[in-house]
Amino acid sequence: MATKKTNLELVLNGILDENPIFRLALSMCPAVAMTTTIMNGILLGVAVFFVQVASSCTIAIGKRLVHPRIRIPTYVLVIGTWVTVIDMVLAAYFPVAYSQVGLFVKLIVAFAIITMRLEMFACKNTLTTSFWDGFGMGMGFLIGMVVIGAIRELLGMGTLLGYDIMGFQPLLFFVLPVAGFFVVGLMMGFFNYVENVYKQKRLRTIFHESHKSNMPACNSCASPSVGPVGS
Amino acid sequence: MKEVPDIVLRLTLTCVLAASVMGGVFMLTNEAKLHNEHISEQNVMLGLLGYGLDNPAPASVKLFNIYRYIISKGENKFLGYILPVKGDIDNGFQLVMIDLEGQFAEKFALSITPEKVSDAGERDKVLIAALPGDMHFFFADEAIIVNDGDKRQAYLLPGQFPGFKTFIKVFLALDPQLSVLGFDVVAHEEDPGLGAEIEKDYFKNQFAGKTVEAMKTIKVVKVPLPDEYRKYLEEEKQDIKMLEAEQEAIRQKYKDADIHALTGATISSDAVTNGLKNMLKKFVYRLQILENVINEQSIPVSF
Repeated sequence: MATKKTNLELVLNGILDENPIFRLALSMCPAVAMTTTIMNGILLGVAVFFVQVASSCTIAIGKRLVHPRIRIPTYVLVIGTWVTVIDMVLAAYFPVAYSQVGLFVKLIVAFAIITMRLEMFACKNTLTTSFWDGFGMGMGFLIGMVVIGAIRELLGMGTLLGYDIMGFQPLLFFVLPVAGFFVVGLMMGFFNYVENVYKQKRLRTIFHESHKSNMPACNSCASPSVGPVGS
Repeated sequence: MKEVPDIVLRLTLTCVLAASVMGGVFMLTNEAKLHNEHISEQNVMLGLLGYGLDNPAPASVKLFNIYRYIISKGENKFLGYILPVKGDIDNGFQLVMIDLEGQFAEKFALSITPEKVSDAGERDKVLIAALPGDMHFFFADEAIIVNDGDKRQAYLLPGQFPGFKTFIKVFLALDPQLSVLGFDVVAHEEDPGLGAEIEKDYFKNQFAGKTVEAMKTIKVVKVPLPDEYRKYLEEEKQDIKMLEAEQEAIRQKYKDADIHALTGATISSDAVTNGLKNMLKKFVYRLQILENVINEQSIPVSF
């Protein structure tokens, strides 16, 4: 059941259609906990990106070695290996950043998004497509983290990347963990809204072309988008 | 059941592959990691002495490490200090053994270079070679003596004590009169926002300037930190600097004051205060004995 999508579509799929945070609502823990500043978001995003790409490639290469009965333990083993690798590299070469995100880097082992991509995609596809899928998913996560981090840092502390933008602290509330949920929720709503508008437009054009007359009230096309289900 | 051998084989293979990847990366990165830890320790030590990036330590400032071992010979126990001595560079160290009453017992010359002495494995090798076979030893702790030229500048004591969760590792700095210069937390796992506040200036700086006598009696009190005191403790972060006279007044006022507990982290505050008090008490006692012995035996120590 190999995918028929092109590489570009796979990458865009990860960033937009199936954005891990905003569409699939997976790995919400770090998205809420680590995104108090952009820098934290970038660091954890890059770590997840690396682990996602490396694990997807590893499983795509070694899928014959994975026994179907013990798929998930094997995936966790692979993810754990790459997490340990990036953990050691960060500790050795980026000690300052590591002291900030160290705890959460170790937690990447349990991120739902990575296991899910291995189970859904990498174990059924070739190395190249798995690479691009992992690339897209990792990018989607990274971008999501940076966006949430930017909103929270700007509204919570009035700074961006540590530079003072506003000159005062607008709402300290946004730095607190609770606000992470608000921001993620609002972003999800925004993504769903954009998708709905886009779908409606497309349906309307199809509709207009097939029946040139008597367009019904657009109840049918305003159907709720397929809601994301996540852990 | 037929699948079991197959599963075992595949899992073993996966584990071996994973282990070799992790082992390889570990070997590549471990040196850099240890180097980082060493650098950060050095920075903490220099920071406690008041040196930093914009105020580097002059070349006349020298650090001398003293390693303390506990040596047992049959029933008897001794304290063994590895001291740097003047003279020949290859035999630059001596092991001085002191019995539990504080009397000099024996001394041995150790042939080890200053570069190697900081490595625990190298020290063990040299000690095994130097000591008679019936003596057993294990490492206790170290202290660092800081000299500026020939003048004593400070003592730095690395140490650790149990905190709320695990051990808190600290560096305690003392001036030549053994008053506290300050302390810094190297590693801890206290709760963020509560116990982790032990790293913050407004807690840490409360210890600065406490004399040996004051450190014997101070305790932790659960009263809010007065505003002016807090402002003084967080002086480095203030936009408007205080006047010298104003600082001096507050310093005098709170010189022997008790330590104000951190809100919601009484156990961590207690742990740090008692830990530091213990470190200081033991060090003062040992230093006295050691200096007596050094003078008595006229050991040509380099500090």
